[in-house]
Amino acid sequence: MIDLKCEVLTPNSLAEALQYLANNNEYTKILAGGTDVIVGKTQGSKRFIDSNVLVDINRISEIRGIEENDCSISIGAATTLGEICNNKIVGEKLPLLKKAASMVGSQQIRNRATIAGNFVNNAPCADTVPALLVYDTSIEIKSHNSERIISLQEFLKGPYQTQLQKEELVTRIIISQKEQNYFGEFYKLGRRRAVAISRLTLAVLIALKEKQILDIKIASGAVTPIGTRFPKLEEFAKGKIMTDVLCKNIAKKMGEEVLGVTGLRWSSAYKLPVVQQMFYQLLKGIER
Amino acid sequence: MEIKFTLNGKEAVVVCEPSLRFIDLLREKLSLTGTKEGCGVGECGACTVIMNGVAVNSCLVLASQVVGSEVLTIEGIANGEELHLLQKNFLQAGAVQCGFCTPGMVLSSYALLQENSNPSEEEIKDAIAGNLCRCTGYKQILDAVKQTAKELNPSAKL
Repeated sequence: MIDLKCEVLTPNSLAEALQYLANNNEYTKILAGGTDVIVGKTQGSKRFIDSNVLVDINRISEIRGIEENDCSISIGAATTLGEICNNKIVGEKLPLLKKAASMVGSQQIRNRATIAGNFVNNAPCADTVPALLVYDTSIEIKSHNSERIISLQEFLKGPYQTQLQKEELVTRIIISQKEQNYFGEFYKLGRRRAVAISRLTLAVLIALKEKQILDIKIASGAVTPIGTRFPKLEEFAKGKIMTDVLCKNIAKKMGEEVLGVTGLRWSSAYKLPVVQQMFYQLLKGIER
Repeated sequence: MEIKFTLNGKEAVVVCEPSLRFIDLLREKLSLTGTKEGCGVGECGACTVIMNGVAVNSCLVLASQVVGSEVLTIEGIANGEELHLLQKNFLQAGAVQCGFCTPGMVLSSYALLQENSNPSEEEIKDAIAGNLCRCTGYKQILDAVKQTAKELNPSAKL
């Protein structure tokens, strides 16, 4: 019989949750889906073992659900990945996010795990991060006496590290509606096809006019220390005509950039050509 | 803490620590040992139960999180002595060998069929991807779920 031996606070409103966090100490953790926190506690992970107060945010309706208006799509932080996979707005407007979310863990995990939990935990392999990054996602963060909106890229500091302060809670994920038409693709490589921890994730969004690349957004995960965008490569590709030679060239540079971030590792001999080949195929898929 | 919820259609009240895992509440406090613990980290699906209509790993849910919810465990699947169609088909197809994964497999399949009575083979595989079976090789389990879908839905795809 396993008791996590901690106090569990279950606020029913956002104001109540923020008050709990304001009174909190370094031993307080936010509990959302529990797929990291509960496992971390039962397995004695250093990141979780000392926390003895959990603030369960599952009953706060203000931070659940998906809304759309003319300028943006707003997703409540505690919306589960399962809800995201089944949502019509996400399916139509954010297909890469739908695909990434549908590849996280199993049905049972997706029915608990939350969208914000995926990037607040900020594991290198967090599947939804590259998809959120290419959509230029912003996040709304609140505390009892403050409120800020920052870009997801800025929020993510390093593996398992974010800008979140101890009295703060991520409340919503905001994605602006795009003026142009973008086409994109998300790719995940794990050691098996289902219920796998990612070894490599890639996301790309492209706005094309005829064959000219008007805009391009590129992100990777798992193969880089955290999910990250590639601004230099995006600049290189922008404005160019999408030909087979260009796709090969971008893919080759992508591999070099990834290697530049990670340095040469024992796995590079495998990962470098895989990154390049997969990225090439993603670009070709979009070209068609 | 008093944990009040609906379990297999009846009201249940348990007094326990709020941070007790739900699987332990079921097995140790209520003696409902049909729900199995395999890995305890959300990988194997042996502890699957249906909570508010969706399949979840009960090893990743805390007692306090169950308050007010509706839960279905393997003990609530049959109608008295009459086995559920899924259970009958699991037996018929030879989908039960050691039996350890069976409660989780049946509940994951049940959750799928509740939502989609006409699933494709890929949809069935996705629904039970989080349930590991080390005996059957999965084929018999797939057969059992397909057969159930067929019986529920005469115009099934499969």
